[in-house]
Amino acid sequence: MTAALLTLADSRLPAGGHAHSGGVEQAIAMGVLTDAGSLTTFLRRRLATSGAVAAGLAAAACGGGDLAALDAEADARTPSPALRAASRQQGRGLVRVGRRAWPSAAWDELPALPHHAIALGVAAAAGGLGPRDAAQAAAYLSVSGPATAAQRLLAMDPLTVAAITARLAPEVDDVATRAVADGLPAATDPLLDLLAEVHATRKDRIFAS
Amino acid sequence: MRTDVEIVARRGPGGRTVLPVLRATGQLAVRRTGATTVHLVATAFGPLGGDDATIRIVVEEGATLGVLSVAAAIALPARGATTPSVQRIEADVEGSLDLRLEPTVVAAGAHHRAELVAGLGPHGQLTVTDQVLLGRAGEEPGRWTGTTRIERGGRPLLHTTVGLGTGEPAWLPPVAPRAYVSTVHIAETVHIAEEEVGVATGQDAVRLPLPGGWVTTAWGAELHRVVRAAAALAPAAPVRVPA
Repeated sequence: MTAALLTLADSRLPAGGHAHSGGVEQAIAMGVLTDAGSLTTFLRRRLATSGAVAAGLAAAACGGGDLAALDAEADARTPSPALRAASRQQGRGLVRVGRRAWPSAAWDELPALPHHAIALGVAAAAGGLGPRDAAQAAAYLSVSGPATAAQRLLAMDPLTVAAITARLAPEVDDVATRAVADGLPAATDPLLDLLAEVHATRKDRIFAS
Repeated sequence: MRTDVEIVARRGPGGRTVLPVLRATGQLAVRRTGATTVHLVATAFGPLGGDDATIRIVVEEGATLGVLSVAAAIALPARGATTPSVQRIEADVEGSLDLRLEPTVVAAGAHHRAELVAGLGPHGQLTVTDQVLLGRAGEEPGRWTGTTRIERGGRPLLHTTVGLGTGEPAWLPPVAPRAYVSTVHIAETVHIAEEEVGVATGQDAVRLPLPGGWVTTAWGAELHRVVRAAAALAPAAPVRVPA
């Protein structure tokens, strides 16, 4: 592992991820997420579905896959317009900082407004990392950002939330391993689609997604 | 046990649908039941764990075909085995295919995998519905894993895997439904604006746009209510094709 992986997964990397709650804001509004126990459950289902898909896409993009074809595969796995927009917004943010941080010709091969996972794969490759690293960053980011969002919105104890995220580490590793070994997953959670679409219509929201 | 079904629908004289290939072996029989419909008929109890069914459907350009089934399928565990039962549908659609099988009920201890891979040609139209109920009355839920991949001209339009029941990593209380319904509709044109259909949401139900169509998904405790919730989100009018 190199420090590039730590940088990619660092929430202080100004790629815009802090503006997204990954469905947490709406899950709280709908009463699905209320405390530490239900946060753990929510993160698990996110990791197993959108996290696994992002890990697979990031690994494939890092490993030299056809980026336009992978972007189309990402669209097919993300029918929710709100989730697509959130992914492409974060992809754009990552391209902006990634180009400066790890200059590489690979950035020019990305389609305009790429999905976040595709941009993450390219960033990993540009930073000298491999597909497994890209998958790991994608899987980790699928839970770390939402965990922080829940901490803010529910005014949770930061130590509790840090412990929840840390205890998911074996599952994050497992998702990353399988994303590399088994090809592109397509796991989806209709609940996350519903949360994202209801959230997108709200005028009083704090997070972008 | 291996089950193979093969159906080819062709546009015949005067626009009638003819079925030059209509055969089945194993646990399913296939019967023509109308001008454009066939029914799958279970000839054995099950499927049981380890059973493997492949249904190949070709709908040629200009042909219309509806594939229905006579009764719900009850997926049961095989004695002493944990292998899932598998149903794979491969559809090649240049015409119009309406695939509406009766619900799959997955008994306690059983794991059923349903896969649909559909390739649409430039004029292909597809409507497909999955209805799932985990567990019979008074029984623990079984497990269902459903994968849908739809392409048009090699471009993926939808590719999702939904996992329901004990052992599926994203099936976790408080949202761990026993009943699930999903309908995908893809109309003839790929040029339809996604805004024409748009998003709609209900309680435990959501409709999302697809290129040329939509997908509705609903979930809950009771299948009949979930069927109604999904139907309520289907656009009232057929997808309009802009001039």
